[in-house]
Amino acid sequence: MNGKHRSRVAATALASSVALLLAGCSGGSSSSDKSNATVNLNYWLWDSAQQPGYEECAGAFTKENPKIAVKTTQYGWNDYWTTLTTGLISGEGPDVFVGHLSHYPELASKGQILPIDDVVDSKQADLSIYRKGLADLWVAQDGHRYGLPKDYDTVAVFANQKMLDDGGITKAQLDAMAWNPTDGGSYEAVIAHLSIDAKGVRGDQAGFDKNNVATYGLGLNASGGAFGQTEWSEYAFSNGWTHSDKNPWGSSWKFDDPKFIETIAWFQSLAAKGYMPTLQVAASGIGQVDAYGAGKYAMVTEGSWNTKGYFALKGVKTAIAPVPKGPNGQHASMFNGLADNIAANTKHPAEAKKLIAFLASKKCQDITASKGIAFPAIEASADVSKKAFASEGIDTAAFLVPISEGSTYLAPVADHWSELQAIMTPAMDAIMSLSASPDSLKAVNQQVNALFKK
Amino acid sequence: MTNTSPVPTATARPAQEPVRPGLSIIMLDKKRRVRRRISKTLSWTVLVVLLLVTLFPFYWMLRTSFSTNGDLAANSGSLLPAHFSVNGWKRVLGLSTAKEALADGGSGASLDFRLYLRNSLVVATLTTVVQTSFSALAAYAFARLRWPGRDAIFFLFLTALMVPPIFTMLPNFILIRDLGLLNSYLGIVLPNLLMAPFSVFFLRQFFLGIPRELEEASRLDGAGYIRTFFSVILPISNAPITTLAILTYITSWNDYFWPLLVGKSESVRVLTVALGVFRSQTPQGSPDWAGLMAATLISALPIFILFAAMGRRVINSIGFSGLK
Amino acid sequence: MRKVKMAQPAPAAALRRTGRFSIARSRETRVALLFVAPAAIGFLTFTLVPAIRGFYYSFTDYNMFQPAQGVGLANYRKLVADPIFWNSLRVTLEYVVINIGIQTVVALGIAMLMHRLTKSMLVRGIILAPYLVANVIVALVWFWILDYQIGIGNQMLAALGIHRLAFFGDGALAIPTIALINVWRYMGYTALLLFAGLQMIPKDVYEAAALDGASEWKTFWRVTMPLLRPVLSLVLIVSIVGSFQTFDTVAVTTKGGPVNATRVIYFYIYDLAFNRYQFGYAATISVALFVILAGVTVIQLRMTRANQSDLS
Repeated sequence: MNGKHRSRVAATALASSVALLLAGCSGGSSSSDKSNATVNLNYWLWDSAQQPGYEECAGAFTKENPKIAVKTTQYGWNDYWTTLTTGLISGEGPDVFVGHLSHYPELASKGQILPIDDVVDSKQADLSIYRKGLADLWVAQDGHRYGLPKDYDTVAVFANQKMLDDGGITKAQLDAMAWNPTDGGSYEAVIAHLSIDAKGVRGDQAGFDKNNVATYGLGLNASGGAFGQTEWSEYAFSNGWTHSDKNPWGSSWKFDDPKFIETIAWFQSLAAKGYMPTLQVAASGIGQVDAYGAGKYAMVTEGSWNTKGYFALKGVKTAIAPVPKGPNGQHASMFNGLADNIAANTKHPAEAKKLIAFLASKKCQDITASKGIAFPAIEASADVSKKAFASEGIDTAAFLVPISEGSTYLAPVADHWSELQAIMTPAMDAIMSLSASPDSLKAVNQQVNALFKK
Repeated sequence: MTNTSPVPTATARPAQEPVRPGLSIIMLDKKRRVRRRISKTLSWTVLVVLLLVTLFPFYWMLRTSFSTNGDLAANSGSLLPAHFSVNGWKRVLGLSTAKEALADGGSGASLDFRLYLRNSLVVATLTTVVQTSFSALAAYAFARLRWPGRDAIFFLFLTALMVPPIFTMLPNFILIRDLGLLNSYLGIVLPNLLMAPFSVFFLRQFFLGIPRELEEASRLDGAGYIRTFFSVILPISNAPITTLAILTYITSWNDYFWPLLVGKSESVRVLTVALGVFRSQTPQGSPDWAGLMAATLISALPIFILFAAMGRRVINSIGFSGLK
Repeated sequence: MRKVKMAQPAPAAALRRTGRFSIARSRETRVALLFVAPAAIGFLTFTLVPAIRGFYYSFTDYNMFQPAQGVGLANYRKLVADPIFWNSLRVTLEYVVINIGIQTVVALGIAMLMHRLTKSMLVRGIILAPYLVANVIVALVWFWILDYQIGIGNQMLAALGIHRLAFFGDGALAIPTIALINVWRYMGYTALLLFAGLQMIPKDVYEAAALDGASEWKTFWRVTMPLLRPVLSLVLIVSIVGSFQTFDTVAVTTKGGPVNATRVIYFYIYDLAFNRYQFGYAATISVALFVILAGVTVIQLRMTRANQSDLS
């Protein structure tokens, strides 16, 4: 036993050292020998559904620029920003990557992304082809541009067709919904009618048991924090409110505005009445999409980027309606969009700028629009997109209503955004859990404004 | 292994009785038997309940892996797969085209399953073998050898347990990069290769429990410290060392964030990193449930096999009867 | 059973006999240093140096991208005045107590059951199985099962006539739910460790106790537990330290909500470092966490006298 054991240990040690030596030598080399003159660009994105489209774009780009090769890598949303941060710090990151409005201001102020004013100045890109307002979102406080718009999204109402039919709600009724903060208007009437409790009593009938609801008329995803893009921004905007004094780069916030408070008070009342789940119920689970698919929600307010997810649900036929008309007569919706950013530590800035210009060009956006995932930022590509969605049986007209009306409101872009969220989210959570009154927003707004006083 | 609780046999009983005078032999015997049966039934019930609670989520994973993503929400109350399909498994094993995958709600990324499996095996084996060996050496030094500063340094090692991983992650990443070891096996295993505070701690506690008489006997025979370690201590520490090796293997196998940072290229990508493609791809979106569950079950399988093979060693008895 | 402290006399006595005490001692030291060397190198390079660096960062405003600027004790002062930090400490403490309390008892029970009831490898394998699944997946699976509206768990409750529970959404239930999920994950692993410890207890000890007429319960408390002490202490220390650092489950399910009810300390640190780019302040909180853990460990080591073993 002794000798056997000793030789066994020795053998293991020997094997490990050999393995170590081999491991050091093999296992794939990271820095490939830079072959003559080809420049290799790394492009990162998070949406795997969009990856085929962008790979096609990259292929088209390399056809036009044979000396530049583009490698597309995808990281899931949960890992994207931490991996990106480490990449930017270490220099092992992407050259170009898909950016987001809530992250780019901080990256810009810390010098991590490259300004691309010269791309516009040298006419590699033409700002007039994009939908109005989108391009402005990507100019930082220092006055420099950091991205060119790729796509846009708006908010609409998704409704379960069968529940609509059972409740006798026609498409005309759906499209004509209007709301107001006092009694909720025809919007609340529809929501109440579609809410059904465990015994089958509808929300607008006597004896509706709000503690035992089987189907909620309106679903809830989260409290919305400071953003509220799909949760309540559409109501607040159409009540004549905006997040801050100016956008982008506001510094005086209006969460204590009476118009906002009355909107949130109405929104909260839906949960109190049992027409919408409280935050406890909504947050205690997987998410809005699956709850809707299981028949727990009759309607939801959702962003256009999730459209495919809803239509992939088997056993549910979905109708899309525009957001309800508000007191100021508008079908208001937040208007948001993505753009690509260039990492400041890229070794090939000139080539990266070429790539960005191409990704924002009509050629590329036609390709990505034809995949029917997101709406292209370029107006002229809208038809391609419409056709792509239609071929899957999805009518996207409702998403375009705010645009044609001119009632879109840019997503808020500001400094200290993560701090802001950290203050607003618990406050809104408390309100939507019915454990705080909307008046608490007055004190919260002071905290938020204090962030910008320094 | 034999049952170590006292079992009454025909021969043992008479020896016990004289200790308790005044009690009828027959009554005591029956009472003890009934009590033992109740306790045994109770124990078995508890064990079965625990097993069920442990197994249910696995059943749920299995059921989901054979479902179609789009039907999951609608059939959430059913214990059977929602619209039975093997597409999830096909996606995981790389047998599905990008188009099929995307249509099913999955990711279009390609998966070279065998490659990732091989990488995971290399990383986990390397880590386990080297780390366990060096940790055993250090543990013995802390447990049985006497040297200046031993306890203070041991406490220092222990504090390594408490250093938040976030502290070590970034500097280690930069170090690995500076050494040129990014995207290599060595780069992935290096931070944990030489020791883990848990391994040292674990084995030290075991070595503490070994009766000193064994080592003294060996040293009286003239063996040096090194010889004593290899010929006396190691053989009888089979069970804890194997246990530790299995646990280290599993921990290394399931490691996600560090290999994600350091081992991105296909040639060294490990299973856990590769399977990240099944998690949520969009904000507020849903994961590819079928693929994710299939992926989880597949990546747990090799470890299960390993445990089945090595498990016997864990339960081997130490047998101190050699002392008597 | 007499408790014997770390025996000094025996080896020394043997060596004194040969009269080469000091040389033998230095040989012991040399062997010890040789044995410890590889582990020490690993520890130094990959743990100690980064940790010291992290400690340095806690005195700066480091945001990971730009060079760090010293700010003296500003971060520490901010820490003391930060209500979210104190909340996260309380939340974490609640989590640790529930998690460790239940996990240790259950694991001990399982280890004893495995020891006495069955030799089946299948049972042992099943018990260990939850540990084989990645942390993140465990969280996702339980998130589905315990979903208020469509999860099987709540549907079973409803079928039994009990009101549904908002496991993750209710502020009072969220932390216990997360604690129990992690008990599920780690009970097999912990049981396996304790089981290995039970293996080390020699049979004769049990036989002696049986001969003395001790009941099973008494045997357990008077014989098994004391002899299990070194391993039990290890398990407790490691579990508590790990429990304080829980992160994955929260990140996948509640993300600190609702209303900060599950914002455990490590989640707060991570959020500050990677989402808000405040690495300096995150480092400060990490230092505070480290100090707390060190204190807890020292107390535990003292209380359980984990350095000693009753067998020697």
